[in-house]
Amino acid sequence: MNDEKKLAMLEELMELDEGTLKPETELADIDEYNSMAKLSLIVMMSDEFGKKLTNDQIKSFKTVHDIMDYMA
Amino acid sequence: MAGILGIEYVLPEKVLTNDELAEAFKSWSADKILKKTGISSRHISADGETACDLGTKAAEKLISSYEISREDIDFIIFISQSPDYLLPTTACIIQDRLGLKKQSGAFDLNLGCSGYIYGLAVAKGIVDSGMAKNVLLITSETYTKHINSLDRSTRTIFGDGAAATLVGQGGMTIGDFDFGTDGSGKELLMIPAGGMRLPRSEETAVEYDDNGNIRSKNQLYMNGTGVFEFSIREVPESVDNILRKSKLSKSEIDVFIFHQANKFMLDFLQRHMKIDEEKFYQDFSDIGNTVCASIPIALKRAMGKNIIKNNQKILLCGFGVGLSWGSTIIYTGEENDSFTV
Repeated sequence: MNDEKKLAMLEELMELDEGTLKPETELADIDEYNSMAKLSLIVMMSDEFGKKLTNDQIKSFKTVHDIMDYMA
Repeated sequence: MAGILGIEYVLPEKVLTNDELAEAFKSWSADKILKKTGISSRHISADGETACDLGTKAAEKLISSYEISREDIDFIIFISQSPDYLLPTTACIIQDRLGLKKQSGAFDLNLGCSGYIYGLAVAKGIVDSGMAKNVLLITSETYTKHINSLDRSTRTIFGDGAAATLVGQGGMTIGDFDFGTDGSGKELLMIPAGGMRLPRSEETAVEYDDNGNIRSKNQLYMNGTGVFEFSIREVPESVDNILRKSKLSKSEIDVFIFHQANKFMLDFLQRHMKIDEEKFYQDFSDIGNTVCASIPIALKRAMGKNIIKNNQKILLCGFGVGLSWGSTIIYTGEENDSFTV
């Protein structure tokens, strides 16, 4: 999966306009990256990537790129 | 064999709608709250209306609708995390208020969303061992009293309510149990102050902002992500365990009734565990997450809608604060009127 697709998925998940997210965007700067978005992230990782995402892993994410890496 | 002889529930009168919440939390629309939680409104206990009051009311309703003789009840278990007092025990107060005989046992059980499963387990043990004949199991909760009005993480989800279940010989047979506990997750759902570890003080009453959610240490805190992660880890395993113990396969279960946490979590569990959607009962959009009352309320509603029929196997699973979880299977049996004493 290419980076554009991953960014688009994350934008959809956080209900952001297309092109809003950049890999280097700090998660702490995104208002929409709230607890509900984190839950959606766990679900997306399981449904789309067959991966188990833990609370600790979520805490370790600093930038959008960190999440994209995990989506690989 | 111990079984469930009857269930009734009550909800407080006051209703809190998504429109009212959207007014308080400007960034969330009423539609968005419904979409994310599956909840359109919740019932909120009035000032001075406690879990003891609601539980007593539910028990009175049970006694009258099933025509139970008060003489026949000889044990009371009250499950709640909102007792009237630190002491005495709320179950003792309820014995007096219901006019139940003095030759009754009574105690409180402090559990949340797993409470109904543990209550059924203890009631079954008491009945099957012959220690008492009929156990009045009251699951009643008023979490809204612990919630800051500006904490959207909890205020959107929880509602108040109470259920009363009579457990005795006959009725819907209560089967085996699977239990689980992980106290290392104690901080995921917690009211930090007010117990002996951290007594309430001016300091604990100070409100703080946690990502836009306002609360003090005297109030309910929930780490939604942590609770979600815990639930999707432990619930599937607990369900597998109880199926194995009961020598049943998933396909042999007629209805699954899980703790009615919220739609987001339940939808994920249903999908993830590959349970048929039509067998997976969800019924809380007008009441929210009522904690320990959620399973018996859903069970009663399913009975009312004729979803629960004769000769069925119903799998119940509760999970939450503690962390604590448990599962059981109940068997409805042959008779149409098997739910009466």
